[in-house]
Amino acid sequence: MAFLTPAFLIGLAALAVPVLVHLIQRERKRVVEFPSLMFVRRIPYQSVRRRRIRHWALLLLRVAAVALLVLAFARPFFKRNVAAAAATGGAREIVVLLDQSASMGYGDHWQRARDAARSIVRGLGRDDRATLVLFSRNAEENMRATSDRTRLEAAINTAKVSSGATRYGPALKLAESILSRSNIKRREAVLISDFQKTGWSGSEDAHFPDGMVLTTTSVASKNTANLSVPSVSFGRASFSGQERITVNAGLSNKGDEPVRDVPVTLTVDGHELETLRAAVGAHASASVTFAPFTLAGPNVRGTVRAGTDPLPADNNFHFVLTPSQPVSLAVVDSVDRSDESLFLTKALSIGATPAFQIETTSASRVVPATYDKRSVVILNDTPFPTTGGSALKRLVEHGSGLLVIAGDHTTWPATEADLLPGRLGAAVDRTSGRSGSLGFLDYSHPVFEVFKAPRSGDFSAAHFFRYRSIEPGPADRVLARYDDGAPAAIERKVGLGRVIAWTSPLDDTSTDIAVKPVYLPLVHQLVKYLAHYEAPTSWFTVGQVLDLSARLRNRAARIIVSPSGERSTQSGSGEGAEGLLELTDQGVYEIRPTGTGNGRPEAIAVNLDPAESDLAPLDPNELVASVTGHATSMFDAAPPAQELTREDVERRQSLWWYLMLTGVVLLAVETVISNRLSRKEKFL
Amino acid sequence: MSETHSIPGARFVDPKILQRVGNLELLARTVVEGFINGLHRAPFFGASIDFAEHRGYVPGDDIRRVDWRVYARTDRYYVKQYEADTNTNVSILLDVSRSMQFASRGIPKLEYACFVGACLCYLAQRQRDRVGIITFDNDIVSHVPPSAKHFNVTLHTLDRARAERPGNLVATLTKMAEHFKRRGILILLSDFYEEPDAILEAIKPLRFLGNDLIVFHVLDPAELDFGYEDASSFQDLETGEQIPVVPESLRAEYRSLIRAHLDSLTTKFSEHRIDYTVLNTAEPLDRALFSYLSSRERLMRVR
Repeated sequence: MAFLTPAFLIGLAALAVPVLVHLIQRERKRVVEFPSLMFVRRIPYQSVRRRRIRHWALLLLRVAAVALLVLAFARPFFKRNVAAAAATGGAREIVVLLDQSASMGYGDHWQRARDAARSIVRGLGRDDRATLVLFSRNAEENMRATSDRTRLEAAINTAKVSSGATRYGPALKLAESILSRSNIKRREAVLISDFQKTGWSGSEDAHFPDGMVLTTTSVASKNTANLSVPSVSFGRASFSGQERITVNAGLSNKGDEPVRDVPVTLTVDGHELETLRAAVGAHASASVTFAPFTLAGPNVRGTVRAGTDPLPADNNFHFVLTPSQPVSLAVVDSVDRSDESLFLTKALSIGATPAFQIETTSASRVVPATYDKRSVVILNDTPFPTTGGSALKRLVEHGSGLLVIAGDHTTWPATEADLLPGRLGAAVDRTSGRSGSLGFLDYSHPVFEVFKAPRSGDFSAAHFFRYRSIEPGPADRVLARYDDGAPAAIERKVGLGRVIAWTSPLDDTSTDIAVKPVYLPLVHQLVKYLAHYEAPTSWFTVGQVLDLSARLRNRAARIIVSPSGERSTQSGSGEGAEGLLELTDQGVYEIRPTGTGNGRPEAIAVNLDPAESDLAPLDPNELVASVTGHATSMFDAAPPAQELTREDVERRQSLWWYLMLTGVVLLAVETVISNRLSRKEKFL
Repeated sequence: MSETHSIPGARFVDPKILQRVGNLELLARTVVEGFINGLHRAPFFGASIDFAEHRGYVPGDDIRRVDWRVYARTDRYYVKQYEADTNTNVSILLDVSRSMQFASRGIPKLEYACFVGACLCYLAQRQRDRVGIITFDNDIVSHVPPSAKHFNVTLHTLDRARAERPGNLVATLTKMAEHFKRRGILILLSDFYEEPDAILEAIKPLRFLGNDLIVFHVLDPAELDFGYEDASSFQDLETGEQIPVVPESLRAEYRSLIRAHLDSLTTKFSEHRIDYTVLNTAEPLDRALFSYLSSRERLMRVR
């Protein structure tokens, strides 16, 4: 304790005033001369003992009040806070970045992180302001800049570990944004995290300018043992008209110690089907395959659970299975060749995701019913069917696909010209001289996208000896060209459907592409694209945004129940953000129409980002150096502490104010008490 | 003011006004003359040589006193007797103990008693009585024997009277009784802070010689109503003893005690045919004078 103006302490001599007044009053108390106390003496007078006690209490009150007032004028302050205040060097703007990603659920990491955040909040000075930012995949300003420690601590206490992945970039950018808006000179960000290496790629565009300080508090453990189920694959097989699923679960051990005899359990619709034992080496992966089970209906929920460890969240893997729907195809070929579609049908009969249900018919036998409920119709080097033209057009306009394989037999009526991409021309013969080949492929198109990567398909090996020339229309998209520049594949959108014209036969008559490795994937890609096929997704990852309006045909309003039990309602319009669902929780989301409780609800399984299972820590200094550009420790790089003057310290503490207030209150109390007592007892 | 002056001319006897006069003789004259003029009852003390009765001549009588007119009518000698020979000794017995110095609002009790004494002396002197004075506290302080020539000395003694020592009424009165060899009128002025029985026992010897005793009990208003507000330390003027007192809580009991004391004195004095008058120093002097004259008239009639 020290005093800014100790000279005022001389005023403590005033303490003697009430004492003197008390004593003098006792000595000089009013003496009334009276002729004789003969009669007074006969009356028992009131004892003064009680009054003296009360008088002393009042005296103490007065002395205390005077002492407090004098101390207030001397402007006291605590010395022990001078050093702390000097170290802080003035008001600070602090952003507390608290990692709440799923990996923080490991052991006591979250508790330690919250303790660290609380200790920062408790260390705030009176003029300091702090912002609490909770981050995982995204960063959120949980508590805006405030000096209210209570609110900050309450926000920290209510924060929970999320299911999100760790990404430092957004949090650091948000911190930089908050700090740059502040007009306080001392700006600091404190990053509290387990510093997962996977959360920092080094390419994040987060940079702190000079003057901003980034400090780190790591809660990472040294030896982490973590077993996780990063993925599950499914083998589908038909058996007696039903689909049997074989679940293959991958196991990953990120710990330094191997795990043995760990139980891996498959649960389907709440029933535990099978438990297998597995062993996984340190920093190794393994897999277990469960016995197949029959998939009875849609939206069957399953979970694979592997052992227990300090991070239980990634030991579970959820999935939702729905029986696969085969893609229905109608292949129309010409009359005179029975094996014309052999290569096509053989290629399409291979594979289960999806399975193709093919019906081949000749052009002369085509009736409108041929096209019923077909996802794709293939006109394989055949004249345009004389009947069912309008049905075909209607089918395409309603969303189905049409693949026109143009050969010598292909004719196209002018009345249906709008159904064919481009206008067919004469055949081009490349038998003499150098055969034709595909010189251009539009890899940005979904059909050729899978071939984009190097060594993902060599189309140049295929030779084309004869093909039809075609003149694309202005709205048509050329997907592939021959080496002479002639279009090899053209796409046109008709209504909701897609039409692709391939200008050479997809067999061995005038090209050898049918015997090339790219043939099968090409045919599959063409059909899947035209059929609008999307592989059924058995699970999503936390953080993905789901377009419900595209996924759910039902346009009615729907109720969404998250894994944590939160309910939300979305109207079925699908406009704007209404149709979008951000998957933030690990588990199974339920989606069902409002009003009716019948039927099995749509289910969406959501799993942790597998990267969250990798707890390998990053060197915090590396991150700090990357963000601030300083290779040194941030504590060294911090601006030198500014020595605070005694006046500043005293002004910050402002103890005089409390002393003055207490003194005045004591005086008021003394006045009230003495008045009341004097009214009641009439003593001096 | 006018309400207190029940008697016309009583403005001359307001003690607060008299306090400014300073000269006791002038004061006494002013008071007494004003009092008498206002009273219009001169016959109270008419000629002191008024005819009283005839009685038969006996040898030895002064022949100048023979009423010749009666002898002419009846042929017998009668001597005329007169009332003129009624002058007596009037002694003022003034208590000058320290308690008489007390004054709450107006004048001290001693000063008031002096005024009363001076006025009574003047009255007596006008009546050709001999006046004297004894002042006392715990002993006799000064003694002026009654004499026709001692009027001025008496007034001077009154003027010099100071209340300085504690008093002892009983012992002093007992001692004083020895001084009175000849019957006369004794006027006792005191505040009587003694037990009534003790006072009576002390006064009795004064009456043994046939003295007529007139007692004035001089009291300050504060002694009667105890009208103090703040708690204070009360000091006894006689003994110097101090007692912390909360007047509010004592007042009622004090009043009842002083009232009982006065009632007791009144009863006991009347039982012994002693004129007893309580004088409030806040009241005019006329009450004392009136009481004295009433007493004188009664004494004359009795004789």
